[in-house]
Amino acid sequence: MSWNEPGGDNKDPWSGRNDKNGPPDLDEAIRSLQEKLGGIFGGGTGGGSGGGSSLKSFGFLLVGALVLWGLSGFYIVDEGTRGVVTRFGAYTDTTQAGLNWHIPVPIEQVQIINVEQQRFIEVGYRSGGRQGMGSVPREALMLTKDENIVDVRLAVQYQVKDAKDYAFNVLNPAATLKQVTESVERGVVGNNNMDFVLTEGRSEVVSQIKQEIQTVMDSYKAGVLITSVNLQDAQPPEQVQGAFEDAIKAREDKQRLINEAEAYSNDVVPKARGAASRLTQEAEAYKERLIAQASGEASRFSQLLKEYKRAPKVTRERLYLESMEEVLTNTATVMVDVKGGNNLFYLPLDKMTKQQTGTSEAAEAQAPVTLTPQQTRIVNNNLRTSSRGRDVRGR
Amino acid sequence: MGINKILVTAGLLIILLSMSLFTVKETERAIKFRLGEIVETDFKPGLHTKIPFINNVKKFDARILTMDSKPERFLTAEKKNVIVDTFVKWRIGDVKTFYTSVAGDINQANIRLDQIVKDASRSEFGKREIKQLVSTDRQIISETLIANVSPVAKNYGIDIIDVQVKRIDLPQDVSSSVFRRMEAERERVAREFRSQGAEAAERIRADADKQREIILGNAYRDAEIMRGEGDAKAAEIYAKAYGEDAEFFAFYRSMNAYKQTFKKSSDMLVLEPDSDFFKYFKNQK
Repeated sequence: MSWNEPGGDNKDPWSGRNDKNGPPDLDEAIRSLQEKLGGIFGGGTGGGSGGGSSLKSFGFLLVGALVLWGLSGFYIVDEGTRGVVTRFGAYTDTTQAGLNWHIPVPIEQVQIINVEQQRFIEVGYRSGGRQGMGSVPREALMLTKDENIVDVRLAVQYQVKDAKDYAFNVLNPAATLKQVTESVERGVVGNNNMDFVLTEGRSEVVSQIKQEIQTVMDSYKAGVLITSVNLQDAQPPEQVQGAFEDAIKAREDKQRLINEAEAYSNDVVPKARGAASRLTQEAEAYKERLIAQASGEASRFSQLLKEYKRAPKVTRERLYLESMEEVLTNTATVMVDVKGGNNLFYLPLDKMTKQQTGTSEAAEAQAPVTLTPQQTRIVNNNLRTSSRGRDVRGR
Repeated sequence: MGINKILVTAGLLIILLSMSLFTVKETERAIKFRLGEIVETDFKPGLHTKIPFINNVKKFDARILTMDSKPERFLTAEKKNVIVDTFVKWRIGDVKTFYTSVAGDINQANIRLDQIVKDASRSEFGKREIKQLVSTDRQIISETLIANVSPVAKNYGIDIIDVQVKRIDLPQDVSSSVFRRMEAERERVAREFRSQGAEAAERIRADADKQREIILGNAYRDAEIMRGEGDAKAAEIYAKAYGEDAEFFAFYRSMNAYKQTFKKSSDMLVLEPDSDFFKYFKNQK
């Protein structure tokens, strides 16, 4: 049986169950006495007791009835429960677990109260029945210090701390606890900023709520002990969930962008180091190669020079001729034996290069090249000058 | 016969006894009337006597009761509407007054209380801004309301245990504007995150590029230095060797150059036969 049925008319926790609502009134007591003495009063006057019944037997019956009545005062208090005993409605004692006896009804009465059972109330949602948690916006939505709205759902667990107080002091302890919880949680949430409530402040908020609920309930002497307050949920309201999720996504995006950049960096820098290494290695190779080549060439020259100095003329002649020979055997050579300057002279050079022989004298040429005697002379000059030991002007 | 008599007498006695006794429970307060006039109210829980037919007894709940108000609109100091839920914890204090003022009816008492609390609340809420109501001033409001409501409630025989403000909500239209603001706020945060991410990423990339340029630049510099060293060293070696006979070097090097230059058969030389090479070409002298 739940406290929080929609439209919760303040139903008493123990109406509807076995009648523990304090001692019954006297009429009821008489009725139960009549039942106990059923044999005597059965069927009104003079039922069972016929003519032969005497005062003695009546006395016997009376004693029997008294014994039965006395025995009806025995009751068992289960583990984890307490019996609250009242005499004519006034509190006399709280009995512990085990077999107890009270002066039977209608003088004394016992109310058994479970002090170990974990009772709980839900604020902001209802778990009952359906699979999901049905939100109750009226209870769940509240304002924060920075004037935002948050959706908070609490489950408060409690047990009876003091059976006597619980039984006598507050009309509807569970409903009262719920009202107090609503008031307190709004107070605490209203004292904190939204971000704090939704993130790092959760546990702090919860413990503060728990403490304050306990304080208020104690001030009512309600006899309950708050065992735990569970924050089922603390979220931004449904209407703005999307924006909040996007903000969380944005945080991830930020990290992602940074990671991508790091990846880029990790890609680029080592490659640059590699390239740098190549550059320096190549330079070193170049240097070493150059020096080696120079050393080789220099050595070759020096050795040749030594011999040249012994026989300069012959050596020079030989070197010249050999070089020329090599050059002329390797290239297509055209000998032009023309003296004189001004007469135009035509060589179908392109044809000759195509055939790669210097013999074609074909008059047909696509791109005639003309060589003036001057130009031809330059070649020959060069050749000649070299022989005279002047600098060669490379072309 | 005797037994029947005894039984009847006993029955009558019991009935009479039950009519001249009454109990008051821990959870009850009682008033004893004599022919409609209140004679006694201060009953401890337990067994008490009355005269049958002359006295009668009315009982009331002695426990802490609740007045849970309907949500009410109030104007705050900044002339905004808020919807407020309060509840009052009270118990019957003076039974006699309670009986005479609200006929001992809890519902009626609650209606009165509701009115009293609303009147007291109105001025308290009108003095404050939403922010104070929601966060800082709850306790003060609660205390002030208790202080203000208690004396009025006394007139109805009611003891105020506690007055608490439960909900302070914004009306629907204001709520939706709050939601919009929250969304905008989150959007701002999201943008900030993303742009911070972009910023950090750009920094990292730029730094990487810078490092690359510096590494490559330094490497190029070192490479050039090294090449220079190579060039210098080679030049030195050459100079040292060739310097011994510059003229012969020029000749020798030229020869090599010719050989290198005219290597391919596609090269073509057009010559006059009057160079040194052809010295003996036309005449063998």
